[in-house]
Amino acid sequence: MASKKQKIHMSAMAKREERWAWLFIAAPFVGFMLFMAYPIVFALIASASKWTGINSLWGNMVGFRNYAKILTDDKFWKAMGTTIIYMIGIPIGMILGMLIAMGLNRKIPGKRILTTMYYVPVVSSLVAVSILWAWVFNYDYGLLNGIYKALTGMHGPNWLGDEVMVKISLIIFMVWKGLGGTVILYLAGLQNIPRDYYEAAMIDGANSWQKFKSITLPLLSPVTFYVLITSLIGGFQVFVEVQVMTPSGGPNYSSATVVFYLYEKAFTNGQLGYGSAVAVILAIIIFIITAINFRGQDKWVKTID
Amino acid sequence: MRKKFLGIAMASIMGLSTLAGCATTTVEEAGEAEVDTQAAASEESGEAKETTEATEETADAAASTEDGSSSDSLTGNGDKTLHVFLYMQEHEKTIYEDLVKKFVDEHKDEIKEVVFEVTTQDEYNQKMIANMTANDMPDVFYVGPAAVRSYVDNGYILPLDDYVDADTIGSVWGTTQEIYRYDGTNVGKGSLYALPKDLSCFAFAYNKDLFDAAGLDYPDPNKPYTYDEFVEVCKKLTIDKDGDGEVDQWGVANADQWGMTPYLYSNGVKFLNEDMTKVNVANNEQLKEALTFYTDLTKNGLTPSVEQDTALGGYQRWLDGQVAFYACGTWDVAAFMDNATFPYNWDLCGWPVGPSGDGKSHTWMGSVGYCVSATSENPDLAAQLIAKLSTDEDGQREVSGITSGASIQLPNITDLAYGEFKDAVNSGKVPYASNVDVIFGYFDGNDNYAASLQETDYTYNAEWFTPFWSGVFNIKNGDITVEEYLQQVEPEMQEALDEAIELQNSATK
Repeated sequence: MASKKQKIHMSAMAKREERWAWLFIAAPFVGFMLFMAYPIVFALIASASKWTGINSLWGNMVGFRNYAKILTDDKFWKAMGTTIIYMIGIPIGMILGMLIAMGLNRKIPGKRILTTMYYVPVVSSLVAVSILWAWVFNYDYGLLNGIYKALTGMHGPNWLGDEVMVKISLIIFMVWKGLGGTVILYLAGLQNIPRDYYEAAMIDGANSWQKFKSITLPLLSPVTFYVLITSLIGGFQVFVEVQVMTPSGGPNYSSATVVFYLYEKAFTNGQLGYGSAVAVILAIIIFIITAINFRGQDKWVKTID
Repeated sequence: MRKKFLGIAMASIMGLSTLAGCATTTVEEAGEAEVDTQAAASEESGEAKETTEATEETADAAASTEDGSSSDSLTGNGDKTLHVFLYMQEHEKTIYEDLVKKFVDEHKDEIKEVVFEVTTQDEYNQKMIANMTANDMPDVFYVGPAAVRSYVDNGYILPLDDYVDADTIGSVWGTTQEIYRYDGTNVGKGSLYALPKDLSCFAFAYNKDLFDAAGLDYPDPNKPYTYDEFVEVCKKLTIDKDGDGEVDQWGVANADQWGMTPYLYSNGVKFLNEDMTKVNVANNEQLKEALTFYTDLTKNGLTPSVEQDTALGGYQRWLDGQVAFYACGTWDVAAFMDNATFPYNWDLCGWPVGPSGDGKSHTWMGSVGYCVSATSENPDLAAQLIAKLSTDEDGQREVSGITSGASIQLPNITDLAYGEFKDAVNSGKVPYASNVDVIFGYFDGNDNYAASLQETDYTYNAEWFTPFWSGVFNIKNGDITVEEYLQQVEPEMQEALDEAIELQNSATK
């Protein structure tokens, strides 16, 4: 009631200002509606259809049939399994990142150059470095097998041409690519830990392991949490490196991820409806995993306060 | 009141973003987009759909410009406009753009503007889907033989019989007259829906220098090898040149996805039944025989091994002079003729012929055609333009290299191909493999040669064939026998084919 009264007595100036306010609100709102809400709703509708891009979307609604089919789709589950296997790289990257960050968090010469070097892969084009690593992994002409042969005199493994090796190769690549980002985050986290905590611990006679276990690790937990969440979400969305290094999805489809499968379905085979359904399922999985993470964070994520 | 203002605000923002997107598009497109925006705004409550599409589309155009697509407009004094949307290589674009310019000059009084927009092949399909979703089709665009049915069923393209004269239609390769016809049930009959941009095929080539070094006679272009003869020749060409105990020159290299089917087709193999509803693989004796022959080439070491293949593909090995035979698409010829790319003498020959086929060497052909949008406001003019692009003699002389000396494709016009083009090849004016008759044999068919479109060109998508070619390396590796493989792969292929048929049937509005 009060607000209504106020409005009636609004001055011309205030009215004009209110209009401008609406305009400013409209900008992000329209952007959100156009580029987020509309595509999401569209994908949801398309996921319940046999839409091909050429035929009519509304004339080919099939309800939940796409979803039912995905549940028994071997290729989808194989791609899902591979996607999850790739996530082995997440803890490896986190441990390595933390170790390197602790190494860099000292007064050592060349610290800035080292940090920059670790960060170069992060700012490099994913496609470019994927092409580069495809050559590093090359069976006959690659850097890795060149070194292997020089050392052992034997031919190295078929990094990208073997069902198991291709997964290991991609994990190595992803750890390398993501390491710099993790290092920078942990470095920032380490620098936020007040020095006096360590001094107090030293007076109490704590050794370095105890200091690490009781001070560093718990106080880095917010960073660990952030890295974990973003890596998990990113892990479910891996696509580019797979597409570049193994354009047909690897031997017997052994390197394909869910997004790779989705892309192949939608844009190679023209099954945009089915592809949308895969996308929706993926979104739901990511949502659930992230929700679980946020729920569980109280148990292990500590802050300085 | 507040609602109304919100509507205006939304509309203005949309308009702004539309205009922002227009900076890189032509005036013509910007005009269209603006009309849509106004329409949406005037509906007050903001039926955002149309506007969204328009905005998306223009944004799309802007984005693709960054990726190397480009559009140019050519103007006259008339009042008709045409929007042409194609994919092409950069050097092709120059030639075709000149043709469009000529066309505009010839129809100066009719034409106000022709927007000639060219993008890459990858971009093209996605942009076309966007156009279809937005119901905003260009006047002239591409249709492949595989898409004729769904484009016609969904009312996207016009029959050309009323617009293009019979002489023009009759001047191109028989195959291209056939594959763009559709009578509502079958492709290959009925009204004509497109004129060819090109016709191509996947022929076979051999490295003359390696034959000379081995002291062997060149393959006879009039009598392709039998399977057995081919194996014998390959054995003589598979050698350890530097004597380090490892083979470093092979008879042949094969890429399973594209280079396997010609061997199989040449043994009479068909993967699908007559009406393309059933996969015929598990109990297909011709296929068993041909696939055994094909995989044995690798098992017996006449091709690089599967591992070696993952390290360096057959194409690179051919360019490097490591293999004696390799597939040669008509689009590859220019590269192979270029000394910097391929510093060897070479020529064309036929794919080896299996014992259980019709005795002819078979391969697959490909084509893409120009069509006219059913929603075009100037269908007559659009049809005349595609006739120009497809069959203008000067244009064909230019793209085939008769006048330019650089052959991008073979002439669409048969008289020109057999006449001036062959003369130019023989006189050396066009750098081309001298056995060009092999290609013409595949195109037109004769006692030794025959060709058809791939079976995947007749189905909604190629997904049913993917499990087949992508697993063949397991046979080459000795992990599975041919027989087991065929038994194992058939259900998966059939399932994907059923899906494709269902999509095909759903493709009607």
